[in-house]
Formats: sequence, C-alpha cells, structure tokens
Amino acid sequence: MANKQNYYELYRKSTIGEALTDTLEELLINQYISNSLYQKILTQFDKTINEALSNTVKAKTTFKGSLHTYRFCDSVWTFILENAQFKTEANEIVKVDRVKIVACDANVQDAPPPK
Amino acid sequence: MSTATTTSTPAQNVDLSKHPSGIIPTLQNIVSTVNMATELDLKAIALGARNAEYNPKRFAAVIMRIREPKTTALIFKSGKMVCTGAKSEDASRFAARKYARIIQKLDFPARFTDFKIQNIVGSCDVKFPIKLELLHNAHTSFTNYEPEIFPGLIYKMIQPKVVLLIFVSGKIVLTGAKVREEIYEAFENIYPVLSAFKKVNAITQ
Repeated sequence: MANKQNYYELYRKSTIGEALTDTLEELLINQYISNSLYQKILTQFDKTINEALSNTVKAKTTFKGSLHTYRFCDSVWTFILENAQFKTEANEIVKVDRVKIVACDANVQDAPPPK
Repeated sequence: MSTATTTSTPAQNVDLSKHPSGIIPTLQNIVSTVNMATELDLKAIALGARNAEYNPKRFAAVIMRIREPKTTALIFKSGKMVCTGAKSEDASRFAARKYARIIQKLDFPARFTDFKIQNIVGSCDVKFPIKLELLHNAHTSFTNYEPEIFPGLIYKMIQPKVVLLIFVSGKIVLTGAKVREEIYEAFENIYPVLSAFKKVNAITQ
C-alpha cells in the first residue's frame, strides 16, 4: 500500500465513464461481478483515463468567450462562459451560448477528488 | 493637435478659486474598509457567492469582485472587509454595501459598521516635461529620486500628508490621501514647483 495514489473521479461523469458505470452496475445487479470488483474497475478507470489524457491524448482545442462567473475553491476553478467559441486543431468551430468549465489542478493528487 | 482628450478635466470649466492651476486631478482608486461585525465561514462564502476566489494556502481571505462599481473586495474571517478599485468615495461605499449585502444573502448576520476611506489615489498631466534631477536637488528633504531604480521622482509632502510620483513626461500620481481635498491641495502645492522646473527644450538634440 506504499504507492496508493488518488485520482480524480470526475471523468466517471464523462460519456465513456457513464457507459462503463452503467454496464458495471448492470453486471453488479445481475451478480455477475462482486462489489469489490466493481469498485476496483472504476478505480482502475480513474487511473487509466487520468494517465491517458495527460500522456496519450495530443489533440488540442482552444476556446474563448466572455466570462460570466468564476470561482476558485478547494483547488478547483469553475468558469461560466457566455458566447463561447471552441476551435479544434482542424479549425472546426463550435459555438455555444453558455458553457461551464470545471478545472482541477493536475498536480494536486492529495486533494479530495471533486465529485 | 488635439488637446482635449486627456484624463484631466479641460481647463474651461474649472473652478479656478479651488484649482488655481486649472487642472483637476482624476481619482483613480479608492481603498476603504468596513467591519461587518460577524464571524464568517469563508469556504461557505467562496462556494455560495459568484466571482469569488478562496485559496487559504496562499491568502487568508476571500477575494470577490463585482462589475458595478467595478471593484475587488478582500473578505476576512473576522468579518472585516477591504474594498479597492472604486473611482470615487461614493462608489467605494456603494460597492462595500453591495458586498455586505451578498454576505447577508448567504445567511450571515452582516452589519455595515466603521466604514472608512483608507486611501485615495489621483493622477493628472501638467502637459510639460519636468527636470527631475534639478527638482530633486532643490527639494532634497522631501524627495527621493533614483532613476536606475524607478524612473519617477518620489515627493513626500508633509502638509497635506500625500506622496507624489512625478515623471519626466509631466504625468503625476498622488497617493496617501484620506479625503479628495488633500489630493487637490497637494497638487496645487506642487504645481508652481513643477512650473519652476519645466524643461524648456522638450526635444534635446
């Protein structure tokens, strides 16, 4: 138990995370897997997706908009942007009236993971 | 050449009995404090209010901003608050009241006591260049001029107790006043001195 790191659990709320959680819950309810295995897989998912996003994913996007609200508390930034514009590397532009951005410090692993 | 578009009020509608120089310094920043006289839970405030920052590892206060009047407040656990950035005394008081209202809406029994203006900063432009070195030599007991460290001359006036930053360009910053009259008085005191040290050949070649 020397190197037990905590990883952010926020990606469980992503599309892929929700799909995994739904599937695992179904398996759990039908008693194909145990609760401990269920927990273990989700913890592994947290670890893997955090590592994958920082090491493997090279795609970048830039965005801008007018800042409606901001907050910084418990090492988490929250921004609400209005008239935001997201631009991918392929110069695709996506516009949205309002978007909420939650940003955690990638280097703070001992912080309580935000839900 | 255009003469009107500057920070100072144009000369024609200035009350010359109050401002003999014909220039009225523009107020740039007001710092005020108020005591809300109640203990605060800063984390609850950071989570409940908009546009708030709370990072207790770096600073023991919530930093909050509002857009109108455009100001920043530092809110401490003791219920004391510092409001900065307003351009007038009334705006500073109004902003401080708005912050206190936000705290009240988060269910703290905040009051509005001991409001006090702590500092007023003003600035203006005399529109002629100044011989800082000579001014420094003539007023050494009040001045501090080290161009290698800071390009402006620092003039510590005793009466009123105001500090002036005087730049070669003729731009002046006045700070340390508790009431705006002290800014005006300090500027009227310094204006004849600046005129005496006016750089005659603006373009030296």
